[in-house]
Amino acid sequence: MIVTENLDIAYDQTLIVKQLNVEIPPHKITALVGANGSGKSTILKTMARLMKPKSGHVLLDGKAIHRLKTKEVAKQLAILPQNPTAPEGMTVIDLVTYGRFPHQRGFGSLTQKDKEVILWAIEATGMEEFAYRPVDQLSGGQRQRAWIAMALAQETPILFLDEPTTFLDMAHQLEVLNLLEELHEKEQRTIVMVVHDLNHASRYAHHMIAIKKGTVVKAGTPMEVMQPDIIEEVFGIQCDIIQDPRTGLPLCLPYAISRSQKEPVIV
Amino acid sequence: MNGVERRKNLQRFSILATFSVLILIVFVISMNTGFSRLSPLEVFQTLFGMGNEKQQLILFEFRLPRIVISLLAGAGLAVSGCIMQGISRNALADPSILGISHGAGLMVVLYLSFFPTHLDVPVLFLPVLAFIGSLLAAALVFGLSYQKYEGLLPTRLVLTGVAVAAGLSALMTVLSLRLSRELYQFVAVWLAGSIWGTTWDYVLALLPWIVVLFAFVYYKALVLDVLSFGNNVATGLGASVSKEQVKLLAAAAGLAAACVSVSGGIGFIGLIGPHLARRLIGPNHKYLLPASALAGALLLLTADTIGRTILQPSEIHAGIVVAIIGAPYFLYLLARSNH
Repeated sequence: MIVTENLDIAYDQTLIVKQLNVEIPPHKITALVGANGSGKSTILKTMARLMKPKSGHVLLDGKAIHRLKTKEVAKQLAILPQNPTAPEGMTVIDLVTYGRFPHQRGFGSLTQKDKEVILWAIEATGMEEFAYRPVDQLSGGQRQRAWIAMALAQETPILFLDEPTTFLDMAHQLEVLNLLEELHEKEQRTIVMVVHDLNHASRYAHHMIAIKKGTVVKAGTPMEVMQPDIIEEVFGIQCDIIQDPRTGLPLCLPYAISRSQKEPVIV
Repeated sequence: MNGVERRKNLQRFSILATFSVLILIVFVISMNTGFSRLSPLEVFQTLFGMGNEKQQLILFEFRLPRIVISLLAGAGLAVSGCIMQGISRNALADPSILGISHGAGLMVVLYLSFFPTHLDVPVLFLPVLAFIGSLLAAALVFGLSYQKYEGLLPTRLVLTGVAVAAGLSALMTVLSLRLSRELYQFVAVWLAGSIWGTTWDYVLALLPWIVVLFAFVYYKALVLDVLSFGNNVATGLGASVSKEQVKLLAAAAGLAAACVSVSGGIGFIGLIGPHLARRLIGPNHKYLLPASALAGALLLLTADTIGRTILQPSEIHAGIVVAIIGAPYFLYLLARSNH
């Protein structure tokens, strides 16, 4: 269970996030959405203790995450940052093995349990046939799956992902999202991700948090968040919300840029 | 899957073994070469205590300490470079980024310009001074690149290092203008990386540093692996990134400082050694660290042997030989990383 309390986050002196109070519902998929520069990635990173807040707290099961031992946090929460890179020549199985780091001591010889978890993570992400390939020689989708396998090997109840589908083509995007959905269904993991595509968020998340300039505009189910007025406020676009004929979930069809947003367009 | 793992281990083992054999070969060649030639047979006889007095003197008092220093300094510099490259995630990083040799050089020049006494006295004292100088330079680079919120950012470290090194060497130039010709020559030779500490005393002074720091770094091999994923992934995996970076960089600085203080300003070994090792053995520090050490030892011993023989009876300093090989390799790396 993750909660933020009056979180202020700043880069140098510039306040990016002001007085943020959000709750991440356990055992659900939560999507953080917002425009570029809205601070959604910053919020995700701070919740995962990759950044220190200026003031306020992130509570993991009631304890301030930034004061907990980072190795203990790593047993509870795995995070896949944006565009991670592996050292040249590192194989998939080696990469996944480092997911066991929080559970290892000193030299890090692997126990039977470690080996089982590594194999399971590789199977769960469908990476068996690539296990001995260098990560840098894989396609974007395969590479992302390898990194997810590493995060899975951490065996944490909570999984954070920062734009896991960026730079992937459509098939690979769905591949990654389906994998996350499957993980949630089978393992009941709490998944929190930053997603760019609103319709992906609506389709895969149970809970959405819409963020603008570092504050929450609306949090709730996709039905509650996917409203034309909310989307206009968060993204500065006008859209129709229709029902996905297949899933019954809301879909956003943008048709215009809001008038107030038109002026300061800088490309 | 175990078959693949076993084959890989065999491969790693044979790479390490090949390095060791090559070192042994260069070792024997190096023992043979020099002002007075000894045949391989004489070398072996003397090594096993069956040589005459003159042979013993040449081998044990002149050649062997120098060879051992070359091996130790080469290994130390390469391991230091290996740490730097792992932490900064930059294949072009090496101990010189920490201003190590510049700090050492400046300290030596400072001492000589204020106490321009007989060279004999400072020679015993110089390694200590050089060591302190390089650690001070490294601490300055750390201090300037450490940020309260973000910790140690590799790019900032590299840029600060370059700036500090430039500043130190400018100071050094200004100061050395005041030195006498004789002292200036001494400094120039020192900076060029002549392996000048060539008695057993220097070996004994260097050995504990290398052994202790290498043991510490090797114990941290797994942490180094994790750090080379970058700050975000490493933190996510539960590494205390800032703390570990500081500890490991301190170890890298200590290793390089100890080496530079007896070997003089030898560049490139810390760059080429680990890079060569990584290409052969991969990014896993459990194997990469020993491979880097062996590669560095091999390179420096080879360079020193070439330097001692090629223009006999005068010699080219090992640092220059290394630079002649190292500079093109560095450019090659630079060209390759541009792709």
